[in-house]
Amino acid sequence: MKKAFAPLLFASALAVISHLAVIYAAPGVIMDRAMSMLSNRGIALHGFTLGERTTPQTQTVVRPSPDLAYSACLFDFEQAPAGLRVKMASTENYASLSFFDASTNNFQTIRGDGSGVDVRLLPPKMAATQPNEIGSPSNTGIILIRRLAPTEADYERVAETAKGDKCSPI
Amino acid sequence: MINRIATFGIAGILGVGVGVYSALAMSGLLPGDRRIGDGIEINGWVGDLRQGSVDASPYLRARIARHGLLAMAKSEAIYFIRSRDGAGEHLTENCDYKISGGALPAGWWSITLYNSENFLPDNRDEALSFNSNQSSGDAWTAIISPTQPDDGAHWISSRNAGKFDLTLRLYMPEPDTLARPEQLIAAPNVERLTCKEQGS
Repeated sequence: MKKAFAPLLFASALAVISHLAVIYAAPGVIMDRAMSMLSNRGIALHGFTLGERTTPQTQTVVRPSPDLAYSACLFDFEQAPAGLRVKMASTENYASLSFFDASTNNFQTIRGDGSGVDVRLLPPKMAATQPNEIGSPSNTGIILIRRLAPTEADYERVAETAKGDKCSPI
Repeated sequence: MINRIATFGIAGILGVGVGVYSALAMSGLLPGDRRIGDGIEINGWVGDLRQGSVDASPYLRARIARHGLLAMAKSEAIYFIRSRDGAGEHLTENCDYKISGGALPAGWWSITLYNSENFLPDNRDEALSFNSNQSSGDAWTAIISPTQPDDGAHWISSRNAGKFDLTLRLYMPEPDTLARPEQLIAAPNVERLTCKEQGS
């Protein structure tokens, strides 16, 4: 019995360590893969890219809504050390601007409410001091604009509007 | 000495195996587990208001990353998933269903069908969801079926969906809803109508 104690303790310790490693690493790994996949599909770093109208043939991430038009911007503060200017052009219908860090957290969402949004996203080392400044918890992440576009005609209108979006280094 | 090393080697492999498997199981990363969270169940619809939030546990965060990446925080949208009909059977394209409900406490809402891989089913029916713009008045009904209903009823297509589930999105939820979701969200009913005979 005494001989079995040490291997059992060893197995238990490794079980706990590997369990925690998987749990804490999974979101970052999945987000990293998602960012690579989006990049491979033409989503720009530091620039909004309007995705095609969401259909089974164009979907790129899990559980996309076919009623929404998505514009995405990948960010990496290694290449934008002073931060980013992020602008969402106004639309009449529902729109939101949401920010996701490298661990998948939605650290900020701003609703359009019929008006445009113009903010600065700052890297983790810089403190946000103005109302229009947002501090990012991580150096990389995704900025996503969702706009209501249940029909082809709605999507065409969004495509025009989205030309006014900005996601550019300061 | 060699026996001792072998014993520790086997113990180590077992330990890592148990640790990895339990982590995958508890965070919904195993195939077949499609729950977004365990926080709330309303009429068979399961959701978790912590999704997208920094308050989310590491288990929920991993689950969201796998099944609902880029979900927004609850102030902007809340999400529920339902994978079984009113009789407790898994939703499948082999059966037709009636989904019905009333007004929902949100600025805009939608119900979308996804296959077992968390993607829209591979069809070109242009009937992937039902949303609040289509519901006139408080009571509404839609048919979930691989073929379009003849009677002009609202339709969500399950063509090529296999075993599927439904996601209910409530955008711009009313503030009271976040405080008392079980009391204020009248989550839709899903009733099985008919099923195809299974081939022999």
